[in-house]
Amino acid sequence: MRPVVGFAIATGFVLLVSQSGAAAGADQGAQLAATCASCHRLDGGGTGIPSIIGLGEERLNSALLAYRAIERPNHIMHAIALSLSDEEIASVARYVAAQGK
Amino acid sequence: MKSWTRREFGCLTGAGLLTALSPRKALGQAKARVVVIGGGIGGATVAKYLAASATTIDVTLVEPRQVYTTCFFSNLHLAGLRPLEQLTHGYEALTRQYGITVVHGSAEAIDPAAKTVTLNNGSTLGYDRLVVAPGIAFRDGSLEGYDEAAMEIMPHAWNAGQQTRLLRQQLESMEDGGLFVLVAPPNPFRCPPAPYERASLIASYFQRRKPKAKILILDAKDSFNAQDLFQDAWNRHYPGMIEWLPAQFTGGVTAVDPKTRSVITVGATFKAAVANVVPAQMAGRLAQQAGLTDQSGWCPVDPVTFESALQPGIHLVGDAIIGGDMPKSAFCANSQAKACAFAIAADLAGSAQFPAHLFNTCYTYLAPDDAFSNAISFKPVDGKLKSVLSFISKVEESAEVRRKAARAAEGWYDAFTHDVFG
Ligand SMILES: Cc1cc2nc3c(=O)[nH]c(=O)nc-3n(C[C@H](O)[C@H](O)[C@H](O)COP(=O)(O)OP(=O)(O)OC[C@H]3O[C@@H](n4cnc5c(N)ncnc54)[C@H](O)[C@@H]3O)c2cc1C
Ligand code: HEC
Repeated sequence: MRPVVGFAIATGFVLLVSQSGAAAGADQGAQLAATCASCHRLDGGGTGIPSIIGLGEERLNSALLAYRAIERPNHIMHAIALSLSDEEIASVARYVAAQGK
Repeated sequence: MKSWTRREFGCLTGAGLLTALSPRKALGQAKARVVVIGGGIGGATVAKYLAASATTIDVTLVEPRQVYTTCFFSNLHLAGLRPLEQLTHGYEALTRQYGITVVHGSAEAIDPAAKTVTLNNGSTLGYDRLVVAPGIAFRDGSLEGYDEAAMEIMPHAWNAGQQTRLLRQQLESMEDGGLFVLVAPPNPFRCPPAPYERASLIASYFQRRKPKAKILILDAKDSFNAQDLFQDAWNRHYPGMIEWLPAQFTGGVTAVDPKTRSVITVGATFKAAVANVVPAQMAGRLAQQAGLTDQSGWCPVDPVTFESALQPGIHLVGDAIIGGDMPKSAFCANSQAKACAFAIAADLAGSAQFPAHLFNTCYTYLAPDDAFSNAISFKPVDGKLKSVLSFISKVEESAEVRRKAARAAEGWYDAFTHDVFG
């Protein structure tokens, strides 16, 4: 199952940024990542707010869980992480991790 | 038409994916036409995310101006800390990367029965779905004497661009020791912390260049957003420079006299060296004319799809809507716009809609190196947008934390404008 989902997600991103696209709207990870894009550039650029591109799925997942539990204190990321369910965290982490590739 | 559930989507193989994601195209049907009126924060975001969501949607964005200057960070320009050019964004990437047709014109009328929009050049655009994001207008007659001509003498600078430049020029040419009067509007209005952020940043400019100048805020309200954070900062950074008079002290501002640059309250007249008058607000004119507003002057919407409660098939986002607990901020406009775009795309494709995540964060400057932030998430509850989680910086935070927030704000500006304008 994994590889297929991985393919769908990667395709969704290519399509999201190129005008020939179709998929972003149909992918929950892509829709959640759109909320991250209000603060984190998803093209890997940016200063002032850390980039989340290239972190890997595990680190994204554990960072979001750490913000939710206030193991890492930051009220913005705490609010973001608290508003996401475990499944949503997994889904956005998987999608964002696929963007670096 | 076949509608795709999430499960089916997940099980698709690579080969079947492309066709499956474009059901309309695969069946050889015409593309759905979505027209977006207003290329500000809400409108540009809707257009971009609709275009990115499906090749089966043709997106046209209608906006009179060639470039958009952001209100957010315009207070930094007033303090001499950011050139206006750095706050100005074009529409090229929306066309080049997302295939959006940008029409530079003004929408004059909407015909919901014929599903057409008439532009100021007389042409009409047909649509299957319409999104209206016209921002704010000022309420006529809320301040006697404050007409178009008065705005050129006592600028509001509540839409960024020429008005911001004008106010900055006036502040620069003001003599040291002059009185700057800021008239703050009644609720609800665009960006609740912004009048007080403006006073703070102008105070930082005065402190550097005109240390004897004074700032008087004449408020239509008796309290304001994040008041404890602002008043703490005013005492720390600018002792004795900023005076805030609530409506209960002055009876409220009733009129202005541009000839003498005076602001008139029930009890007194204040003669200003520079006056910044921010009047009472309502949804943008087009929303009023098209019957999209209720008696409040704002637009009621469905909190999930952002479809008008008054005109089916027309969606609204941004400052023009009755946002429940959502303030009128660029962040909220952007967040609503994404939810609206995904709802329209899902509806047109007949596919499942995921629960939207609505959010607001505003970074607010108290001084160039002292910023605070809030973070609020919202959910539709009983037909209204309710705040479900809310955090804000604390008065006792360290200078280091505040300095970091000021740098994070710069990163936010970069990422956010990239998100909106590509
Ligand atoms: C001083 C100041 C500071 C601010 N700081 C912040 C901040 O730090 N963070 C934050 O999140 N928000 C901030 N805001 C608020 C933010 O600017 C607004 O909430 C945001 O711009 C709202 O977006 P909108 O799309 O509803 O309206 P706008 O961005 O105003 O866009 C409306 C667009 O519609 C167009 N239009 C209107 N009528 C028509 C028509 N008939 N036909 C075609 N086009 C039309 C206009 O030309 C305009 O481009 C600030 C505001 C001010 C004034
Ligand atoms: C309102 C702005 C904002 C939004 C929206 C936002 N973030 Fe963040 N994010 C930040 C800030 C600010 C930091 C730095 C926090 C700190 O100092 O620890 C951060 C940090 C992070 C980090 C830690 C990065 C590192 O180098 O360890 C991760 C991971 C992250 N965000 C993921 C996300 C994801 C995923 C989303 C979307 C679901 C998201 N963020 C949405 C502002 C935001």
